Formats: sequence, C-alpha cells, structure tokens
Amino acid sequence: MKRGVALACAVAALFSITGDARPADPPVPAAQLDLTGVWGPYRAERESDPALLPPPAGPVVLKPEYAKQWEARRAAEADAIRRGESPGSPATLCVPYGMPRMMSVAIYPVEIIQTAKRITIVTEAFSEVRRVYLDRPQARIEDVPPGYYGRSVGHWDGKALVVDTIGIKTTVVGYQNLPHSDQMHIVERFHLVTPDVLHDDILIEDPIVLERPVTYTVAYRRMPAYEMVEFVCDNNREYLDQTGAVRMRLHDR
Amino acid sequence: MLSCRCLALLAAGAVALPSPALAHHSFAMFDTVNKVTITGTVTTFEWTNPHAYIEIDVPDAHGTVKHWSIELGSPSILLQSGWKYTMLKSGDRVTLLVNPLRNGQPGGMLVQATLSDGRVLGNGPGAAPAQATPPR
Repeated sequence: MKRGVALACAVAALFSITGDARPADPPVPAAQLDLTGVWGPYRAERESDPALLPPPAGPVVLKPEYAKQWEARRAAEADAIRRGESPGSPATLCVPYGMPRMMSVAIYPVEIIQTAKRITIVTEAFSEVRRVYLDRPQARIEDVPPGYYGRSVGHWDGKALVVDTIGIKTTVVGYQNLPHSDQMHIVERFHLVTPDVLHDDILIEDPIVLERPVTYTVAYRRMPAYEMVEFVCDNNREYLDQTGAVRMRLHDR
Repeated sequence: MLSCRCLALLAAGAVALPSPALAHHSFAMFDTVNKVTITGTVTTFEWTNPHAYIEIDVPDAHGTVKHWSIELGSPSILLQSGWKYTMLKSGDRVTLLVNPLRNGQPGGMLVQATLSDGRVLGNGPGAAPAQATPPR
C-alpha cells in the first residue's frame, strides 16, 4: 500500500514538472527501423537505379456506374487541355491534397518523425500533417469524422511499417482523380529497399466505388541534408473562371 | 529597350518542362511550344507560395512600357534550382525567356532568367539550365 502511494506521488511529481497529463513519448528503440528524416521522390533520372523505382501501378477497376463518370471526366479534362485550358482542382485554390495524394506531390519531399508510439508525416507541399498512432487500435469507420487525413494507426510487421487509414471525406480528390466513398480504406506498407530508398506500397479499398483494390507504390530517396521549406499559400493568383478553367490574375504596374 | 520576339521553338524536345508547378495546377494556360524573350526592369520579386512571381516593366521600341507578370515555381522548387530570394530586386534589369499566356495577356511562365550580372537560372530541377551559372 505504501509502495503504491509512493509510486502515485512520483508519477504526480513527474506530471507537475512536465506540466503534461501524459508521460512523454519515449524514443524509438535502437533495434527498430527508424524512418525519421526527409524523403524526396525517387524518380526516373539519370542517376536513378531502375530496380529501385516503383513497380508499375495496378489496374484501376471501378464499379460500372462510377467507371462511366470517371472516364467521362477524364475525357473532358483531356479535351480541355487540348484546347489550352487548365482544368481546375481544389489544389488550384490552395486546398490541401489530403490522403492519399499528399504522399506524392510533384518533386516535394515529406518529413517523417518517428517515436516509439507515433509516426508523424509532414509534407512540404501545403504543409500537410498525418499522425499515425502505433499504440492504439483502429476506430470504427463510423466513429471517425471525415477529413483530409482521416485516422491512421500503424504497426511494425518485421521491418515494414503497416499503416491503416480510414475517414477520408468524399470531397478529397483521390489518386488519379478517382472518386471514393466514405468507406474507403487505405493500407500502406512502408519498407526500405535500400538503406536510403523507401517504398510506400499503397492499397486502396472501397467496396462501394472500386471493383477491386487499387495498388501503387511511391518511392522516396533519403535527403539527409535537406531542410524542409515552408509552404504557406498566401499569394495564390490562380482562380477558376465560369467554365472551371484556371486563369492567372495579372498585376498592374 | 524592348526585346520581345517570338522564337517559335517548335521542337517538342526543346520545350520539355519540369513538373514543379503541378503541385498546384496544370500548365495548359501557358503556350509551352512558343517562347518569348522579354527584357525590362523588375518592379517586384515575390518569393511566395504557391508560386514566386517576377513583376517587370518591358519597354517597346518606341519606349512604351508594358507590364508583365511572370510566374515561377514555388520557393522550394526554386531553391532546388539555384535561386535565392535575394537574387532579384526592384530596379534590376533582367532578360526573361517565358512561355506566354495563351490568351495574349502580358503574363507567362518562366523558362529561363538572365540576371543583370550574367547569371542564368532555370525554373526548377530539370529545367534548362539545371544549375545557376557562376557570375561573370
């Protein structure tokens, strides 16, 4: 009993020092894979090793009613581009990408911050943030308020980090502009293919929209010296005209 | 003096562009086949997101000044191709090679900038030139 009281007092003292109601997140165990650092896209460039590039993406097979809409939209956008019109998107208006597109935006890197209980992923483009909890179970999908990043939990499977994400709102534009329902479920498998090349194998399931899961891989290279650049979208001159095409606002002298 | 001439570089390979600005929008509003060279005086250099901009006054052969707005990549993209936010300031004279807006308005997307000290800079990794040339 006395030992119990002493322990409670010690814990209370610790919290009073830190000012936090929870103990600090301990550092990553030395034996575990540490993904902490900045990772840039590993792309087909002169110095790239073809063996380390992402494997070809899997086919996209939507349920017929969604396939028709998706194909019609792609055709309309292709026509617009042929006419010299830029089709707009939420990103044109500086709305963040959300999951899963935020994981592969042009040449912008991502930063991974890893502790024993959490992985935090910060993207450079639009400064988006994901939090992956390693010590908690996934919630029921109906208990997650739909958002851009949803709720992610993860676990280690040997040397791979497996991340499960649900709760992406349906207005978030998907991979290849795919539509999705509120039942979309994303499973990622992060694994090193060399000490400095990381692959994120992404699987997207959606029982309402997809006939079968969509799979693709995003590859990253380690950028040990890189310092993330801030990206606050405070000078957006692009706007959409009445047809939805992108226009550039010019300044006078 | 004005230097605004359409170069009409039709070789597709010569106009291959990097994908930096795809973070934000497609390039379709710019004429990526033809290029225009403009020489003038910088009024502002905006080191901002989602794009940086060069605002520039360009005089024609008769001394009439037209103002152009030139879009660049984001600061992140520019840093990766040798730019610094201090490289341009109001009053600098520069020559810009740009893909003009298709609608004919005085705006465009930067292909290459030649600064007053002779340095030549592209508009993102993979753009020509990939690296800034040393000052003369």
